[in-house]
Amino acid sequence: MGIPVRITFEQRGDAPRRLSLLVPMGSVVAALVFGAVFLLATGYSPLDTYSNMLSGSFATSRGVTDTLALATVLICTGVAAAFAFQMNVYNIGGEGQLYLGLIGAAWAGISLGEHLPSLVMVPLVLAVGALSGAAWIFVPAWVRSRLGTSEIVSTLLLTYVGASLVEYVIYTPGSYFRNPNTPFPQGRLVAASAKLDPFGDSRLYPTIIVSVVVAVALAWVVRRTEYGYRIKVIADSPKAAQYAGISARRTTMSVMLVSGALAGLGGALLVVGPYGKIEPSIVNLGYGYAGIVIAALARNNLAAIVVSAVLFSGLRVGGEKLQITTDTPIHIGVMLQGAILLFALGGEAFRRYRIRIVRTGVAT
Amino acid sequence: MNSNIWVLMTGDSVAIATTLVLAALGALFTERSGVLNLGVEGILLSSAVSSFLAADASGSIWLGLAVGCLVGAALAGIHGALSVVFRANQIVAGLALVIFGTGLANFLGKPVEGKPVTTTIKPLSFGALSDMPLLGPVVFGHDVVTYLALVLAVASSIYLFRTRPGLELRATGDDPATVDAQGLSVASIRIRYTLFGGVLIGLGGSWLMLAQSAAWHQAATTNGLGWIALALVVFAGWRPVRIVFGAVLFGFTLQLPFTLQAEQITVIPSAVMQMLPYLATLVAMIALSRPGSRNLLGAPRALGQPFVRDER
Repeated sequence: MGIPVRITFEQRGDAPRRLSLLVPMGSVVAALVFGAVFLLATGYSPLDTYSNMLSGSFATSRGVTDTLALATVLICTGVAAAFAFQMNVYNIGGEGQLYLGLIGAAWAGISLGEHLPSLVMVPLVLAVGALSGAAWIFVPAWVRSRLGTSEIVSTLLLTYVGASLVEYVIYTPGSYFRNPNTPFPQGRLVAASAKLDPFGDSRLYPTIIVSVVVAVALAWVVRRTEYGYRIKVIADSPKAAQYAGISARRTTMSVMLVSGALAGLGGALLVVGPYGKIEPSIVNLGYGYAGIVIAALARNNLAAIVVSAVLFSGLRVGGEKLQITTDTPIHIGVMLQGAILLFALGGEAFRRYRIRIVRTGVAT
Repeated sequence: MNSNIWVLMTGDSVAIATTLVLAALGALFTERSGVLNLGVEGILLSSAVSSFLAADASGSIWLGLAVGCLVGAALAGIHGALSVVFRANQIVAGLALVIFGTGLANFLGKPVEGKPVTTTIKPLSFGALSDMPLLGPVVFGHDVVTYLALVLAVASSIYLFRTRPGLELRATGDDPATVDAQGLSVASIRIRYTLFGGVLIGLGGSWLMLAQSAAWHQAATTNGLGWIALALVVFAGWRPVRIVFGAVLFGFTLQLPFTLQAEQITVIPSAVMQMLPYLATLVAMIALSRPGSRNLLGAPRALGQPFVRDER
């Protein structure tokens, strides 16, 4: 208004490749600096906090395996979010679909008993978990593709319903999913054949391979198949897609179902891996929500999600260890996640536009 | 008769509706200007905990409310800057705000978790009126913020549909190019209403903390009210007075599980009852959707789209 300079945004024709890497990295650094200022202001030592976080996450072998163990789930929820986001469909209920994956997988793992060998059982349990996740998004997907109901709000509302469902199946006396032998409410263990063993004495399970393979395979589907091409056309221009005879309705539906299945798979991987049962504390962990941040930071690039999931999982594991070693609240990790994303979004502008400060001379 | 649980419950529904009305009005002003702020839940949590800290330290409710409003404005300011100045994806920016706000609230709230709220907002006293059967608790049993929220809803309606600035606000959300051609700054209007929306949401969060909660507790304080508020704006067709009716209805479904539990009616498990408000919201949302109903409902046409003059 009274300022004699104007900031102009010039659209870049093609974003330079180095910026695609520089912007996410820059936002991580900016968020860490912001976090340091915030820690100082609230009376904690940023240096101690960060070095403790680092040694808990990336600097020790225990830290690395713990980080990768958490990344196993986060890759799934990240890919789930990104797969939908790339078509401008915002499934932000991955959290709830993850709960259902947990319930579905536990159901399969308990009810199929010990009749099947592990080689059949584990894939079956994972499949049931993924299907349960897809089932949980079915109604939002259906009404979104038929009636245009906002999937943002509907998938989120169902997350709260899912959380109550987890509590219901664990805390109700006599529930099928509840361990009948413990007085304290706990999940019933799945059959031994539905459980995998961790690597050595670590907390890392072979399920990490499933996550990475799924992420890479879907990246290939998006880049190389006709289905992936359809998604891209609809994302770029729904009108053009219509003229080309691509049914946005059917593609939206299928993309959302796949997205729900991926989040459900994340829950199932927890069952065959570390949990072996329904762990009711899952509703406080926010693995599904983290997937949104991971997807956004990787700019919905499915292969890049592996990297951003490992980074985030490191932040989180480091934050959790912090709680044990110092009195700094664990939530600094969550705050940093949000801050990284906010900086990344701001940084996007520098990638997409050439920003110039122009002197207008006359104050208007 | 006033001790009748159902009467008390209706009174409580009106009370719980206060946060919903304030948060939904905040979202409504923001959205009317064309900015979609999905960060309501994060703002509610952050303002709740900061109002608690301020009120606890100073012993003043008003300072608590003021700090809550300021925090609301500050977080909304981040969203405004990203959406309007940096033209970021507003959906992702809003979600980032939810995550950031949740982390911030839990970080700040950790030292005081479980500490009871000592400085609370008390209901106004209307003398004999408050003791009236039925009407007493339902109409005259509330505090100043609840009445303020209702007055605000009516005032917003008049402001939006009967005044010049209200017309400019609606036009900015519907057709920013025309507003720009009139010589008004789209960016400035959007930033201002995003900030104002943040203040209202912040007030809602602080009120929830200082009037409704026994103590700060990370998971249970807002419980998704921010998302229900966003859905409420959709049903209300972006009209302020309709928000009040919707909010009371949802206040009722939110309150129902507690009332049934108090009455020891256990036909329906409490976990199922807890799902009710969310399921009711979902069903109502679906019922209101028809192909192409976005405009029928009155959604601002440029909602969520950054305004770029140079590209036109």
